[in-house]
Amino acid sequence: MAVTASSKSEKDKLRKDCAKSTDLPNELLKDKHVRYFKQMLSLLPEAFESHDSTRLTLLYFSLGALDLLGAIPDISDSRKKEMIKWIYSLQVKPDDISGYKRCGFYATDSLPNSVEVNYGHIAMTYVALCSLLILGDDLSGVDRDGIVYGLKSLQLDSGSFQCASFGTESDARFVYCASCISYMLQDWRGVDRTLATQFLLSCQSYEGGFGQNTGREAHGGSTFCSVAALKLMGTFDEVMCEERRQRVLSWCLRRQETGFNGRPNKPKDTCYSFWVGSCLKLLGGQDFINKEGNFAFLMTTQDRYMGGFSKWEGYLPDPLHSYFGLSGLYVVSGEVDIHPALNISMRAFRDYQSRCDVPISWD
Amino acid sequence: LLYTIKFEGIMMYAESPEWSDIVPIPLPHNDKDPVVQIMYSDRFKDVYSYMAAIMEKKEYSHRALLLTNDAIECNTANYTVWHYRREILRHLKMDLKEEMEFSASVIEEQPKNYQVWHHRRCLIEMSGDHSLELELTAESLSQDNKNYHAWDHRQWVVQQYNVWDKELEYVDELLALDLRNNSAWNHRYFVIENSEGWSSETVARELEYAASFIRKAPNNESPWNYANGIIKKNKLRYSDFPKLKELCTSLYESHVPSNFVLSTLADIHIEAENKEAAMEIFEEMKEKDSIRVNYWTFRLQQLQGS
Repeated sequence: MAVTASSKSEKDKLRKDCAKSTDLPNELLKDKHVRYFKQMLSLLPEAFESHDSTRLTLLYFSLGALDLLGAIPDISDSRKKEMIKWIYSLQVKPDDISGYKRCGFYATDSLPNSVEVNYGHIAMTYVALCSLLILGDDLSGVDRDGIVYGLKSLQLDSGSFQCASFGTESDARFVYCASCISYMLQDWRGVDRTLATQFLLSCQSYEGGFGQNTGREAHGGSTFCSVAALKLMGTFDEVMCEERRQRVLSWCLRRQETGFNGRPNKPKDTCYSFWVGSCLKLLGGQDFINKEGNFAFLMTTQDRYMGGFSKWEGYLPDPLHSYFGLSGLYVVSGEVDIHPALNISMRAFRDYQSRCDVPISWD
Repeated sequence: LLYTIKFEGIMMYAESPEWSDIVPIPLPHNDKDPVVQIMYSDRFKDVYSYMAAIMEKKEYSHRALLLTNDAIECNTANYTVWHYRREILRHLKMDLKEEMEFSASVIEEQPKNYQVWHHRRCLIEMSGDHSLELELTAESLSQDNKNYHAWDHRQWVVQQYNVWDKELEYVDELLALDLRNNSAWNHRYFVIENSEGWSSETVARELEYAASFIRKAPNNESPWNYANGIIKKNKLRYSDFPKLKELCTSLYESHVPSNFVLSTLADIHIEAENKEAAMEIFEEMKEKDSIRVNYWTFRLQQLQGS
């Protein structure tokens, strides 16, 4: 799901030539960030070809960021309609051959719907729904049965989830996506919550944090995914006894140096300000976070020329870290309200809440 | 005509006589109102317009396999293409040796790509041959000793095929190179949990193992998480392991700066219902671990209230 450089040569390309800066701005450069994300919303350079299969996440990052920056009203109604139309064009309709298995949303229109092997992807379904909510859509165009039964075909016997039902890797990220989708649709027919909960519990390692799978190393991203999913499923209180809670809470708190790392003895990285910061909020530990430290670190990864944020100081910004730098800053400072499990603004969430026939709650 | 540009050395599919029977499906492009529109190169458009046509036609040929090479090169994260490639391999009933080499080369180039690691796992499931995997993951880990994908793959192989015997030695090697390698510590726990199990002898042995590393670097979080984790996860009592308390106490008394010494001592005191001693430590931590001052204040208040 990540939209970041993977190979060493790619990383080197992203390293800036300048040395570490000494005279960094000490404030969030909102205008620069708005410009950065507005550009992303329309055209992206050729280099993003390798991210074509996560293209919808780029829409979610830009809309999400613009929402946090209060810039959604800048988008005209006609443009919003165009975007909503494009999102819905990526929704798979169930067909006679695959039934519901293909259902959900896919990332890009590069491969047409007529290609049978073009299956929906669980993370794209999640970001599609989030993007629709940010744009003020009421989800009436969503094929609920399609998505819900599509989800059902993704859950494994272990309780974990794959991301596409022709067979992919399975881990906590996709259990999280399944939980968000079901929560937003208020329809849990696609998720066996007991099994999913059992699976997530088995991911809590000896360290107290959660790994991506049973036995895997505790990691900031999967810890967020697990805690958020348990909260969304409504099983957190039932299965997370005091001892388990204390262990995950203290593991998360130990991630903070100034910014946050994702694992012990790993360097701080912009995106963990959100993953760990929001997880701490879900655990009721937000007051234990050192806000100044988090802010100071993010000021070193904020790009003062291009806007956006990079993973580490001295690197070029990318969409993922730019979004999470912003959300990581706000979830810790509390300056802008973010739904700590869904990862959309509370503005978008409350807007959706007000339009639901059956109240969707979050306390 | 959309495809009139030819790159040096790369033949466009649109101009290849071997592909003249295929009608490419062009990529949609919205000029008027682009939404996260990527400015695809001509090569990308060429490759994917043919990939789409082949997939729609459900052609599982050798030329289709070569096309997926290009499609993967253009976008290595395209999970649909990787799946289609596996379908081709199944249809052609191909020997997987070359495919294993191909996947290893992509892993080398892009070690954090999810799809290639999953592909490798599928190949092993298809062939049953896991003989190269420990070496493959060790090689990957020699480049980046904390690569989550490499560790995940190694753990899967070791558990699926019951090849535990070399793993503790491997962890020893890695910790000798970097005792702060948290992934190696996690692997050790995983191996013991799933092979010999946590007998009282094993627990004692492993606590001493952790202690030896703690002595070398008392402020290294990893062996502390390991030792405390063994006790907590197996629902054991600190009081059954006086050596750990001795270690903490001696480090504390020699004023070794380590927040882990303090927090572990606090946990030991709490278990022994020695509230006063724990509260003293929390008071000290407010200062020594100041970034978490609010948390230590809370722990202190919790004890005061109880």
